Amino acid sequence: MSAAAAGHDVVNRLEATRVVVEVAGDAPIVASLGHPAYDLFAAGDRPQNFYTWGSMGVASSIGLGLALARRDVRVFVVDGDGALLMNLGSLATIGLTQPPNLAVVVMDNEAYATTGGQPTPTAHGADLAAAARAMQVEAVAVRTEEELRRGLARGGTTRSAHNAGPIVIVAKVTESSPRTWPPLDCVFIKQRFMTAIGNREPATYNPR
Amino acid sequence: MAQTPIWASGVCSGLYAAGSRDVVYVPDNPLSHVVTELGDRYADVGLTLATREEEAFGIAAGLYLGGRRPTVMLQSSGLGNSLNAITSLILPYQIPMLIVVSMRGDAGEWNAAQVPMGRAVRSILDAIGVPHMTIASADAAADAVRLIANTAFGTRQAGACLLPRRVTTS
Repeated sequence: MSAAAAGHDVVNRLEATRVVVEVAGDAPIVASLGHPAYDLFAAGDRPQNFYTWGSMGVASSIGLGLALARRDVRVFVVDGDGALLMNLGSLATIGLTQPPNLAVVVMDNEAYATTGGQPTPTAHGADLAAAARAMQVEAVAVRTEEELRRGLARGGTTRSAHNAGPIVIVAKVTESSPRTWPPLDCVFIKQRFMTAIGNREPATYNPR
Repeated sequence: MAQTPIWASGVCSGLYAAGSRDVVYVPDNPLSHVVTELGDRYADVGLTLATREEEAFGIAAGLYLGGRRPTVMLQSSGLGNSLNAITSLILPYQIPMLIVVSMRGDAGEWNAAQVPMGRAVRSILDAIGVPHMTIASADAAADAVRLIANTAFGTRQAGACLLPRRVTTS
């Protein structure tokens, strides 16, 4: 059954992304390519947004690496259901490493929206929250804005000292059909992001 | 305890000298010498086990964004599993990292299923534009790994060290 047909107060992905941006404050957000990244841009372009333009499936891995390197900040990932299905092993690695400061929000619209809306296996019952729990990661499925806010609060505040552990939040959302794109310049995205989170890339220099 | 092979000690000291304190890897028989040595003698090096090579490159990218100098270690057969992350994340975003590849399919190989990718590794790296160097001997490992890593982090592009079987299994 689709999220919309379930009879809940379902939000669309853009509305859900706005909530993530609001809760994140100045914390970094890594977005999966395509519509999740477009909606993150539309929800609020900020230097702490890392927009991917490729590497489908790898957003949660980028977030994991960042969370391991920067225990002092809470790291948010905005993933897609089709993308996470490409890299389910990421859940096992998050379960293995248990970074307390990682929150992965899977925008589950049950479709490959960026490529034309073909249904993903989650439209036929594949349960990503159950998959995360099976890999020893705390996970919740949410269908309303209130549930999403509760899920984000479960992972703690935006500062890692209070974070309880990694959390995967599977947000059942409807498609928002984004019309705007983030910047296309990958190096600009990276350098702006790294500067904003306190890891500015220094100018390269001759070691001699 | 078995003696750590010279090439494996060299990989450890080389990556350490280049400032890498984070190694993400997918297990491989020869590379376990490196992982063991890092665990035993390099307490400040973080080791992260990944389930698949493409995932390892994603984790390494995140480590770099967080201010680290990451190393990815994999078997050459896993290069095929990594290509989308390398070509659409690591290269366009200019995310530097040291890549240590334990070769399969080259001289000394016994498994036909390893040979086609083993033969193609260098051509693939050339085609996508990842600089690489093949470690000529066990004694050469430390310097080669350090220099490739220094160039990778200094020029902000990934660089690969290939470890032939005649070095890792003799």
